[in-house]
Amino acid sequence: MSNHRQDVPGAERAEIREIVLHAARDTWTAVEQLVGALGTATVAVVVLLALVAGAASCVVGIGFVLLPVALRGMHAVADRERGRISRWGPELLTPGPLPVRPLQALGDPAVRRELRWLAGHATAGWLLALSGVFLPVLAVRDASFPLWWQLMPQGTAGASIGLWTVEDWLGVLPVTMMGIGWTAVLVGLTPRMARVLDRRGRRLLGPAPDADLSLRVAELTATRAAALDAHATELRRIERSLHDGTQNRVVAVTVLLGTARRMLSRDPAAADALLERAQTAAEEALAELRAVARGILPPVLADRGLSGALTGLAATCPVPCRIDVDASARCAASVEATAYFVVAEALTNVSRHSGAAQVTVTLRNRQGRLHVRVEDDGQGGAGEGGGSGLVGIRRRIEAHDGILTLTSPPGGPTTIEVELPCGS
Amino acid sequence: MRIVIAEDDPLLREGLALLLRSESLDVVATAATPDGLLAAVDEHRPDVAIVDVRMPPTHTDEGIVAAVEARRRHPELAVLVLSAYVEQTFATDLLAGGASRLGYLLKERVGRVEEFLAALRRVADGGTAIDPEVVAQLLTRSRPDGRLERLSPRERDVLALMAQGLGNAALAERLFVTEGAVHKHIRSIFAKLDLAPADQADRRVTAVLHYLEHQRRRDGSS
Repeated sequence: MSNHRQDVPGAERAEIREIVLHAARDTWTAVEQLVGALGTATVAVVVLLALVAGAASCVVGIGFVLLPVALRGMHAVADRERGRISRWGPELLTPGPLPVRPLQALGDPAVRRELRWLAGHATAGWLLALSGVFLPVLAVRDASFPLWWQLMPQGTAGASIGLWTVEDWLGVLPVTMMGIGWTAVLVGLTPRMARVLDRRGRRLLGPAPDADLSLRVAELTATRAAALDAHATELRRIERSLHDGTQNRVVAVTVLLGTARRMLSRDPAAADALLERAQTAAEEALAELRAVARGILPPVLADRGLSGALTGLAATCPVPCRIDVDASARCAASVEATAYFVVAEALTNVSRHSGAAQVTVTLRNRQGRLHVRVEDDGQGGAGEGGGSGLVGIRRRIEAHDGILTLTSPPGGPTTIEVELPCGS
Repeated sequence: MRIVIAEDDPLLREGLALLLRSESLDVVATAATPDGLLAAVDEHRPDVAIVDVRMPPTHTDEGIVAAVEARRRHPELAVLVLSAYVEQTFATDLLAGGASRLGYLLKERVGRVEEFLAALRRVADGGTAIDPEVVAQLLTRSRPDGRLERLSPRERDVLALMAQGLGNAALAERLFVTEGAVHKHIRSIFAKLDLAPADQADRRVTAVLHYLEHQRRRDGSS
C-alpha cells in the first residue's frame, strides 16, 4: 500500500515534467520560426521601401526602372518565405514566374496577394518576429540576473526594462520576478505569434483559394456523378424488383382468380384449389413487397437507430457476432442505411465464405465521420470480384464521399473498414 | 387455337398456361427466354404467341425484339404482347410492320379472363388488340400537328375503342348508341385525321397507326 502511495506523486511529477518539456519544445520551435521570419521580414522592409519609393518616383520616370527591380525582389523574398514556411508544415508551392512589369503585375491576383503579404510582413510581421527574438533574450537576462549582477560595475546593474539600478539583494528580487514574467510571456505568446505569421503566409502565399475551389469542384463533380450513377442504379434495381417481381406475383394472383371464377360453376373443387394457389401467390407478393421496401430503407433503422439495427443483424448472423457501438449522434438516413448495408453484406460474406468462428462489428462516430469496421477470424482471401456484393457497396460508399478498405490476406483475418461523412 | 407462351416468371407462365388450358385452348409450348420462344415457334408453328416484353438477359425489350423476329420468320403468326407498363416505343416498334394479328396489352388485363380471351381470339383471327391504356396515352399526349385536337371527346372515345379492336356493333353497345351513330362518328374521325376513304377495315387501324407512325418518325428524327 505504501508503494502505491509513493507512486502517486511520482506519476504527478512525470506529468508535470511532460508538460514543461512540451512547453519548452513548443517555445523553442516558435522562437526558431520567428528568427527565420525576422530574416525575411527585414528583407521585406527593404523591398517595401523600394516599392514605395518606386511607386512614388513613377511621377518623375525613375519608378519605371525601379519598380520591376522591387517587384522581382518581392517575388524573391516571398519565395524565401514560402521555403521557410514549408519547413514547418505542408509544402507551399511557388506559383511559377510572376510578372514584373508594373501594370501587368498589378492585374495579377497572385502578385496582389504577395503585395498584401509584403505590406503586413514588413510592418507588423517584422515587429512580431523581432519581439520573438528579443523575448527570450530578455527572459534569460532577467531570470539569470541574481547570478551575475554583482559582476557589473557599481550602479550599472538593472532590469532589462526600467531605469532603476540595483544596489542590493532586495533590488534583485523584482528583476528576477520580471525574468519569470518574461518567461511566461515567452512560453505563452511566441507559439501564437509564430502561428499568426505562418497562417498569414500560407493564406496569401499559398495557391489562390479559387484554385483550391476548382480542384474541389472537379472532385465534387466526380463524386456527384458517381452519386447520381449509384442513385440511378438503385432506382433501376427498385423498378426492376417491383415490375419483374412484385407485379408478376400480383398478375399471377389475378390470373388465378380469373381462372377460378370461370371454373367455379363447372368444377368447384378445382376452383378452390386455384383460389388456394391465388392466396399463396398473394402472400408471396406481400413478402416481395416487404423485401423491396426493406432494400430501399430498412424500417428498423428508423425505429431503433443504427445501433439497434446492427444488433438485429448480429442476432441473425450464423457466426457469433459482437457489436461494439459508440456513436451517439445520428447521421443522415442515407448514410446510416449505407453503413447498415455494408455490415449486412459483410456479415453475409463472413457466414458464407470466411469459415470464421467470431466476427466483430465496431461502429464509431468521430468528428462528423462514421467509422465502421467488420473483422473476422476466418481464412481471408476475400476479394471484390466473383459477383461479390462488395462492388455495389463500394459504389454506394463512394457516392457518399466515403472510403472502403478491404484487407484480407490469405490465411486471414479479413477486415473491412468503412469511413463515411455523416452528412448532417 | 395453338398457343406458345413466352414468360420468364415461372408462376405467371404456369398460371397463364393453366388459364388457357382450362378454356380448352391448346398451349403447345412455354418458353422462359427469347431464344426459347423462337425455337418453340419454329418447331410448333403455333397460331398465336403470347410474349412478355421483359425477358432475360437484360429485362428490357427482349420480348418485343423476339416477337418482331418471330413475325419476320413467320408472317402468319399472331402475336399478343404482354407488358408490365405502357411504353409507346414498344407499341410503335411492334406495329411498324402493320397492325393485323397484333396485340399489345398490359399484364393485368389477363385477370379479366373474358376480355383477355376475346382479345386473344381477335388477334388470332387477324385483328388488333391495343390496350385501352396505350390508346389513352396516345390521345392525351398532344400531337404536334394538332389534328387529334380536332376530335370531339365522343370521337376520342370511339377512336380509343376502335384502337382496341372493337367492331362497330361492339362499339355501339359499349357507348350505348346506335350503329348508325357510330358510323357517323367514325366518318368524322377519318375526315378530321385526313384519312382518304379507301379500304374501310384498314382505315380503322390506320387512324391509330397514323398517330403511332407520326410519333415514331418524330422520335427518330429528334
